[in-house]
Amino acid sequence: MQDDIFKLIWWVLALPLFGFLFQALMGKLVIDNLGPKIGRTMMGAFAVLPILGSFAIAANITAALRALPEDGRSRILTLFEWITVGNLSIPFEVRVDALSMTMVLIITGIGTLIHLYATGYMSEEKDYTRFFTYLNLFVCAMLLLVLGNNLALLFVGWEGVGVCSYLLIGFWYKDLNNSFAANKAFIVNRIGDWGLSLGIFFLMFMAATTLGVTGQGSDPRWLSYDVLLPNIGVMLENYGHWPLAAAAILLFIGAMGKSAQFPLYLWLPDAMAGPTPVSALIHAATMVTSGVFLLNRMSPLFEAVPVAGAVVVIVGCITALLGALIAFGQTDIKKVLAFSTVSQLGYMFIACGVGAYWVGLFHVATHAFFKALLFLGSGAVIHAMAHNQDMRNYGKLSKYIPITFGTMTIGWLAIAGFPFLSGAFSKEEILLETFASKLNWYGLPIGLIGFGVAMLVAVLTAAYMTRMTFMTFFSGEERWKLIPAHAGHGHDDHHDHDHHHGDHGHHDHGPDVHNFFYTDAEMAEIAKRTPHEHHHDLDENHKPHEVPATMWIPLVVLAALSLVGGGWLFFGVQLPEWLASAGVVVHHHEEIKSIPYWIQKVLAKPIFWAATAAFLLGVAWGYARYFKGLPEKDGVDETKWTGFQKAASKQFGIDGTLTWGSINLGKILGDISMAFDKYVIDGIVNGLGGLSKGFGNLFRSMQTGYVRGYAVLMQIGIVALLGYFIYITMIGGAN
Amino acid sequence: MTGGIGTITSTILIPFIGALLVLMVPEEFKKAIKWMTLVVTGGAFLASLAVLNVFNQNTFHFQMVEAAPWIPQWGIQYKVGLDGVSIWLFVLTTLLTFLSAIFSFYIDKRPKVYFSMLLFLEAAMLGVFVAMDMILFYTFFEATLIPMAVMIFVWGGSNRNYAAIKFFIYTFAASIFLLLGMIAMAKHHEALTGVMTFDITAIQALVASGKFWEGTGSMQAILFWAFTLALIVKCPMFPFHTWLPDAHTEAPTAGSMILAGVLLKMGTYGMLRFSLPLFPEAAMQATPIIMWLAVVGILYGAIVATVQPDVKRLVAYSSVAHMGFVVFGIFSLNQMGMMGGAYQQLNHGISTGALFLLIGLLYERTHTREFAKMGGLKAQMPIYSALFLLVMLSSVGLPGMNGFVGEFLALAGGFYSAAAGSFGLNIVMPFLAGIGVILAAVYLLWMFQKVFYGPITNPDLLRLKDLKPWEIGLVGVFILFIFWGGLYPNTFLKPMEKSIAAARMMTINEPGLRPTWTEARHEIDDDGHLVEITTRKSDGTIDETAGIRRISDNRLYTAIIPPKESR
Repeated sequence: MQDDIFKLIWWVLALPLFGFLFQALMGKLVIDNLGPKIGRTMMGAFAVLPILGSFAIAANITAALRALPEDGRSRILTLFEWITVGNLSIPFEVRVDALSMTMVLIITGIGTLIHLYATGYMSEEKDYTRFFTYLNLFVCAMLLLVLGNNLALLFVGWEGVGVCSYLLIGFWYKDLNNSFAANKAFIVNRIGDWGLSLGIFFLMFMAATTLGVTGQGSDPRWLSYDVLLPNIGVMLENYGHWPLAAAAILLFIGAMGKSAQFPLYLWLPDAMAGPTPVSALIHAATMVTSGVFLLNRMSPLFEAVPVAGAVVVIVGCITALLGALIAFGQTDIKKVLAFSTVSQLGYMFIACGVGAYWVGLFHVATHAFFKALLFLGSGAVIHAMAHNQDMRNYGKLSKYIPITFGTMTIGWLAIAGFPFLSGAFSKEEILLETFASKLNWYGLPIGLIGFGVAMLVAVLTAAYMTRMTFMTFFSGEERWKLIPAHAGHGHDDHHDHDHHHGDHGHHDHGPDVHNFFYTDAEMAEIAKRTPHEHHHDLDENHKPHEVPATMWIPLVVLAALSLVGGGWLFFGVQLPEWLASAGVVVHHHEEIKSIPYWIQKVLAKPIFWAATAAFLLGVAWGYARYFKGLPEKDGVDETKWTGFQKAASKQFGIDGTLTWGSINLGKILGDISMAFDKYVIDGIVNGLGGLSKGFGNLFRSMQTGYVRGYAVLMQIGIVALLGYFIYITMIGGAN
Repeated sequence: MTGGIGTITSTILIPFIGALLVLMVPEEFKKAIKWMTLVVTGGAFLASLAVLNVFNQNTFHFQMVEAAPWIPQWGIQYKVGLDGVSIWLFVLTTLLTFLSAIFSFYIDKRPKVYFSMLLFLEAAMLGVFVAMDMILFYTFFEATLIPMAVMIFVWGGSNRNYAAIKFFIYTFAASIFLLLGMIAMAKHHEALTGVMTFDITAIQALVASGKFWEGTGSMQAILFWAFTLALIVKCPMFPFHTWLPDAHTEAPTAGSMILAGVLLKMGTYGMLRFSLPLFPEAAMQATPIIMWLAVVGILYGAIVATVQPDVKRLVAYSSVAHMGFVVFGIFSLNQMGMMGGAYQQLNHGISTGALFLLIGLLYERTHTREFAKMGGLKAQMPIYSALFLLVMLSSVGLPGMNGFVGEFLALAGGFYSAAAGSFGLNIVMPFLAGIGVILAAVYLLWMFQKVFYGPITNPDLLRLKDLKPWEIGLVGVFILFIFWGGLYPNTFLKPMEKSIAAARMMTINEPGLRPTWTEARHEIDDDGHLVEITTRKSDGTIDETAGIRRISDNRLYTAIIPPKESR
């Protein structure tokens, strides 16, 4: 009776899948028949509704889950046996518990808002339905990632979201730069997946040998969380510390790829080549937080091997610091947000590394609110500025786009750490947990290092976000009017430029008997039907305009969440207890249950004041430097930049070195191997067979039908043989 | 053999007689020849489905066995049968031939010879997978060479002479070892029992008891390599792979589809059929060498693929890498890995067959395979590009599609054996092999980008129409199997399971505890134990109520490490 509602979880997964299939198979048909205007409205609605439906169902399931006693809050539902080999069984099973449902609500909730926003943002797009095809598929894969009850299904979702990300980054494929960015994202993620899959194999091996592979009485679902996780202790006893630590670190390599941790962060900034709603949904709010989800899910493993935790903290620290520093050198508004995301993801891992897994997830949630808001806001700004992404061409936009300005200001304050906004809550928890952590590695106080870096990054975050906000909305003059010549187009330029009408070539493959090519008449018809799109450039006559309702409604909702979401999750949901019911390891430092008690406590806490001081310091720096106008040190003329800023704008050479280095190394390796293949291996082959010497003669004699004659001869031989078989078979039958 | 021609022989005879009939039709009736071929290959496919329908997946034994003497004085028989190792390859052969016959409607050059060759090829390939007599196997194995070489030679590209001769001589030369090895095996059997036979079931029964190789010294190792070398060349594995890129590049589309889809599998099939069950000790000893070759092949094939300027050459080198995964899985000697390797054979057949088909569809239109002359096709041919994307992703090994399951199991099995330290395997192997999965993304994504992304630079392409409905349907069949194989692999895994387990136990169990094909009471139960049964139920399953004697314990996995005693 009670379980009936949990069966609805299949619809949460199925609705986005149906949405995807509908967009993929019917999209062109609908738009061709109803015309672009009505057709796009309809397909847009059918893109949003499945996600909204999933959200509604998930909310009901979550409510039912909360009504259960804490120790019974996990349900496993199995659909079918997916892979069964020997004594290994990997069913297609989902797990409904606090952790998975929290992620589901984030994915479908934010997903709905961003889908809605995208119906407006992409309304002029030629490939409207292709966009929503990918986007719906992404939601489906992401849901599978968090809902799957075993590591193999997680891996399916993991690579599934990766491929959707690849397709969406390369959405505007006519610009080869976008497709390079897409390839980079997929390949760097695959490096992470290499680690993840080997980690899975390692755990599988240890689980199988520990639980026994004799197939009698033992559960063959070695990869399922409910079998694997309770046995971590036994595995530790059997294999010792290092094998488990190795497995944990391999899993973390997977997380480093997907969650853009140093040095695998390289793909995320380039991923901004995708349409802005994609950046908001995939590359800020959901997909990139998969790594944090994985660490939460596998927290009993990481808890058992502190070495892995130390590695996580160190990588998180490097990433958080590096991302924040690089953000100062970026002038593209989306790039600032991209590096901010990298930095904030590092923040989450610092928390996970010191054992505060729930805090990491807390920051995932609040970050999803304010970063999605900031990205969508930046999309609105870009929309208003004729697809120009360079902040040096903005200024004083608060006058023209008030809703965007208002909501983005809330997002800015939330990420910068204004007290009692959502970002401040999770950030203070991270500071608190790192400060209290006793984690050390060979005497190195990892927890304290984490705390120090987190404090520093808190200041930096407030500073670069203030820089971005002031450069966009304040800072003196309306600069696009002053510098019309400097029209640096960003990647977010989705107008279709290339139409080579009339410029078609000729084909000289003889008459077109198979009807492969368009005739001249058909080409003329196509040219007539294709609308000539004109592109509006940014110049002194440009007047920014506010976005339509489909785009500002999501902004307002996200702004509200950024305002109160943190407090709501902390007090309303009581996140630590809620997540603990899903098996996430939670260490309680103090019991904080009631609000007045908490306020008393907090105001007396040095951490609160330290975080607030960090916020004030960062904002003050930004105010002094950017409020009045664009300083020359950060201006259009990049030669006047400071050395730090120049280096930061080039990512301190890390991206260049690694990307350029690996591409060229690969090319050299490929060329050497190719030459080896051609000259050494084939050389030996040709030499051995006497092929190379005798070829000329051989060809001449074989040309004249010798081979064909031989073939016919052989065939006759085979015919005779088979005839004989049949004969003897018949005889055998007769006897 | 109780009467008439059995189902297996009929399935082989359909394309064979079809080929003879096609040869009788005058060359002018092109349409008639094509439709005849279509009907014949379709009929063979249906026949193979009928075989599949009566196939019993609960036993590892050969089924539907037909036997008749052929050259009795030398102990050579016509003996055919199917088991779990061969059943899917049998069906894959008829399916791929049928689909390539449909594509071949584009062939207008000398259709009579072409289509008869296609049908002869099908008959020979089917024969390879059902032969239970070594000489019969060899006959079919060699018989596939002629039609394939002719297809390359007559309908191939610009460098077809070199490619055809290289293909023919290379693989022919290697299989001489196979023939010599087979004769030696038969002679040795005669020396032991007084009966000369090429029947693998008879030989394996002696091997299983340990009598066959008793006191033979290094003979087992020598004969193992004689067999395995020929099969390695056929796979092909590094460093014997260079015939493949040439053959693939020059072969006509249908030839490439069949070459990649079926002919390469004859090598790995032979390993499962001969190298493991007949030479157990030698196989276990050789495992590290072959595993290292597989790892090198995976990496080397992938690296070379990344710098190819020709799309067909790229896919050819990717085949070297993918077949490396198959061998990696099979020689992990672990149920997971062997199942993965065996399954990866099918997946590679589907995915790479589809890739060659798609390349062929484009080649028919543009007559180029060079990346430099492509680019930006996505805007011009959206449906083609979407289908290509799906097939490309399946070759990349994306989960949810078929390629993933095989690769995952093969790597997991390899990891398992290596982590357990069995057979002298090294834990580094799966880590290196895993890099092949990264590289697959590198070269395939690069290929996709070159063909489909960016602006159209070649003006010829601006007039291209998208695929025709029947072409979409043709690719659609592949897509169907791509998703079926990825989402519900148990359809394909289940029938293979018992025979793969048997092949493994024939290899790693001690003499006397190995299953044999001749002992009908030997069976492997659902927990993986080798048992002797007294009765079977009507559906072929083990009747557990009747007496069962356990011969050997579960040996599906390499190592069983018992939990430490708690202190």
